[in-house]
Amino acid sequence: MAANLKLPNQGRIFPALVFLLSGILACTELADPEGVQRYRFENPPHFPEPTYTFGNNSVSEKGFKLGKALFFDPRLSRDGSVACANCHIQAHAFADSWLHPFSIGVDDRKGTRNAPPLFNLAFQKEFFWDGGVTHLDFTPITAIESPVEMDEHFGNVVQKLRVHRDYPERFEDAFGIRKITGPYVLHALSQFMVMMVSADSRYDRWVLGDPSALDAEEVEGLTLFRKHCGSCHTEPLFSDLSYRNNGIQADIIDFGREIITEQQEDRGKFKVPSLRNIAVTSPYMHNAAFRTLEEVLDHYSSGVNYHTTLDPALVTKGRPGIPLDLAEKQKIITFLEALTDSSFLKNPLFFQSDEM
Amino acid sequence: MKNQFKYHKTLLFLGFTVAFMISCQEDDSPQLEEVGEMIVKFENYVGSQPLQLDDEGSTDYSYTNANGQAFNITRFGYYISHVKLEGPSGEIFIDEMKVSANEAELKGYYRVVQGDEDTYNVHLKNIPAGQYNRIIFTLGVEEDGVIEGAVGGILDRAAGAWFWNWNSGFINILLEGHSPASPRDANTIKLHVGGWKDIPAEGGQSQRFFNNNVEISLPFDATVRVNQTLRPSPHIHMDLMKWIADVNLEMVNDVHSPAAGRALTPRLVEAFYVDHTHQ
Repeated sequence: MAANLKLPNQGRIFPALVFLLSGILACTELADPEGVQRYRFENPPHFPEPTYTFGNNSVSEKGFKLGKALFFDPRLSRDGSVACANCHIQAHAFADSWLHPFSIGVDDRKGTRNAPPLFNLAFQKEFFWDGGVTHLDFTPITAIESPVEMDEHFGNVVQKLRVHRDYPERFEDAFGIRKITGPYVLHALSQFMVMMVSADSRYDRWVLGDPSALDAEEVEGLTLFRKHCGSCHTEPLFSDLSYRNNGIQADIIDFGREIITEQQEDRGKFKVPSLRNIAVTSPYMHNAAFRTLEEVLDHYSSGVNYHTTLDPALVTKGRPGIPLDLAEKQKIITFLEALTDSSFLKNPLFFQSDEM
Repeated sequence: MKNQFKYHKTLLFLGFTVAFMISCQEDDSPQLEEVGEMIVKFENYVGSQPLQLDDEGSTDYSYTNANGQAFNITRFGYYISHVKLEGPSGEIFIDEMKVSANEAELKGYYRVVQGDEDTYNVHLKNIPAGQYNRIIFTLGVEEDGVIEGAVGGILDRAAGAWFWNWNSGFINILLEGHSPASPRDANTIKLHVGGWKDIPAEGGQSQRFFNNNVEISLPFDATVRVNQTLRPSPHIHMDLMKWIADVNLEMVNDVHSPAAGRALTPRLVEAFYVDHTHQ
């Protein structure tokens, strides 16, 4: 074949190539550089490589906005009463309000675990308190089909979107599909959720080289934090993504990770939560046991219940708990408050009103 | 002159690039190698009788297991993936596997659903011409069908995929029915066998999760020939009795997790056989 492509043909080939190249360049120029920047996933320099499968679902402006529309749409629930955004509120780092220690689903049904915040989801390996869901794409199915959350069949959600006035066209624009199917609904939601990157707290600025971002007490708090908490709440995500029993249940009524692994050794273990934005995600623990960070630290110093599956890191000299005095606790809390990422909590990218 | 030379060099380079791209496309053309097709038909049996489904709620019990427990079946099916063919002289065909949100791009996954005859035929294409005497496949959906995220077609939960939402993964093989031996409401039996990963025991910790995918390797009843004109059709029988005849339906009637399905996995290997082949 190559032999047929002789130089004498240049008269025809060359203009064609120029035309092709100019087409490519024109495309690049036409796109709004700010828009492209805005709707592109960016990995913070001090973060690990993302785990999300961007190769199958890269973020685009249309896909992201479609995901946002779905996130705020109560149509996803059985009776049209509950949207993702009901229980995942941006001002609380996409956790639920402290008024709802257990979130309220359809028919005012109450959940049994505190709604976790949503951020840095592109870096997780498993989802929910028990880690039963292994890919971000699958997470909405669990909330949609949970009887105490949206109580709807995922297939019905797709049906409702297919007969909607706007959604079919928006899916076609975002994904080039003529008929809405489940995976594209999930991809749109994932595009919205992976963009929830929280990496701009004062701690982050300090880590990235601004010594003025934390004051002396906060740095002291960080030092104490690293010594007493850092083995599980590992930087930079502030979770090592493992499952541990932190002695929160006097009697273990929620088996946690054991439900997924079917191993008694995992009884009462839950995913180590990130502590980013922790000051705005009260109440704390899977069972919403504590309203304040003071109570949380009191738990770790003197309230840890002993179980055979209690995490060994929470045992000091044969006794449950991490000894901390009042001053140490205060300094740690001061540091934890520096993990609040206001630019994330106020980022208009995620505002419903920004939806066009 | 120098500029002109440069111009020609650039043009030559572009020309070669284009030629290379074109020639690559040509190389992919199937004309270079003779290929054929095979239609593998799956037929489900209970003992010597073709499986007959009953309506949900039915109290007619057509079958009796080795424990003397009567039962019927209202739903039955399984996923097939990673199909391979082997021949006596080293011939090998590996069915292409691909997951995608786009249903049309999904490759190598099949689901046999009792009662839906279109699903009984697994149509294999682009098989190199030659002789084959063995088929190997996975009963279920392995890790590669789960870790890429949302997938379309028969793996789309919204379209009825057998997918566990609370413990991500697919049900490899599903059987539902009723038995008076089952103490459940409406005497239901639900055997949903899934699980795709193993976290082996180590450091004094027990095994977590179980990979309940089963590789099934079956000799054909005779060597079959595939070429442009010959499209053989092996008929694989699955005998449910070989799988669950010994299961005590009083105890085992509600299986919905990898650990619970573990005990139901090994005998699946014996339940499939190539009954005959239409050449």
